[in-house]
Amino acid sequence: MYLKVKLPWNVIIAPENLDIKGLLLQRAILLKVLEEFASRRAHKDLGYHIAVTTLESIGDGKVRQHTGEVMFPVVFSAITFNIFRGEVLEGQVHKVFKHGVFLRCGPMEHIYLSCTKMPGYRYVPGENPEFINEKSPPVGKDDLVRFMVMGTKWLEADREFQALASLEGDFLGPLPRPEI
Amino acid sequence: MEKNGKGFSMPKSSLKSTPSKDDSSQKSKEGRKVQFNNGGSPEERFDYSKSNGKSSSSADKGGRGNTANVKASKSKEKEPLELRLNQELLKNAKCLMDCEAAEIIQGIQDQMTLLSQDATIKLPVSFHKGLQYSQANARYTNTHSVRRVLEYPSYFNVNVLTKLPSTLKKHGVVEGEISVIANACPESTEEVFALVPSLKSKKSILQEPLEVALMVIKPLRKVDSTSV
Repeated sequence: MYLKVKLPWNVIIAPENLDIKGLLLQRAILLKVLEEFASRRAHKDLGYHIAVTTLESIGDGKVRQHTGEVMFPVVFSAITFNIFRGEVLEGQVHKVFKHGVFLRCGPMEHIYLSCTKMPGYRYVPGENPEFINEKSPPVGKDDLVRFMVMGTKWLEADREFQALASLEGDFLGPLPRPEI
Repeated sequence: MEKNGKGFSMPKSSLKSTPSKDDSSQKSKEGRKVQFNNGGSPEERFDYSKSNGKSSSSADKGGRGNTANVKASKSKEKEPLELRLNQELLKNAKCLMDCEAAEIIQGIQDQMTLLSQDATIKLPVSFHKGLQYSQANARYTNTHSVRRVLEYPSYFNVNVLTKLPSTLKKHGVVEGEISVIANACPESTEEVFALVPSLKSKKSILQEPLEVALMVIKPLRKVDSTSV
């Protein structure tokens, strides 16, 4: 789900961006926040960084002696996206394999739905492989599926998440394909 | 959130529509581990039992060790698969409904068309996917009304003679659960309790407020919204 978070960060401003009047300084601080927010991509607790919404406050700067840079403590609000164990979401199938499918949900691309967690479904190979069920719509590429999150994993090196999904439960499963 | 221990438990969902079929499929898959590591340590595991501050009468994870096996068919501990959000996280974070997030992100997108001339302004990589997903799942025409209805359903029930508003939050429904309910566009209270099993323990208290809430938000849905 989407989260609105309030984050305290320390932003370092180079000496050439420091301005007596202050307006260009605030601009430099804001641009630095945006740049760092974009470069960090994701946080292990908050999820994927989506956008900064407001700059709440800028504290007093502290000069770093050897470099002349100034460190400002700032507080800003931002939108992030994360998924949690037990959450129910809708994802789109983007890869179909013999033992399961991969779903994407917003910025999260690696959500694995194993065939063992798709009760009643069997794999049908072919040019467009899919999982079919006698009583429910099929699960194939680009289909929308409502699933429950079984667990998540944060990969520090890649700064991204992986997750496991399940269709075991009432009111879970693929949405009907739109009629053409 | 701290990841604890080397092992983890594979909880079974507390809801099974076809238990007999499910058992047979699990037995045929016995011994198969579902994991994928991109060159990571073989000791890395999915975090299934995160630390949480939300107490629930149906779950008791605090006293259990984390050495249970991956194999669901052999797991005797059927931990319910319930939404759990870290209370530490929620101190500085507010859970948004997809429709609320869509409005905010679309507003930023509209401003970016003016600011895009400045090359120094950078957007996160996930911005466009976040915008696309939120718009696809924004299923209500009036997000503020939906939020109010889910938090204060009794305001909209003329048959309830109460002096004080009965809120879902007052009965222990947390923000995350309200977001899941709103995002799912449930047709009935049965669907709500199936998708949010942590509310089942309060079913008798929540049944009426939820019925009112669903009845009021139904007309607020966009015409092409779909549900399972």
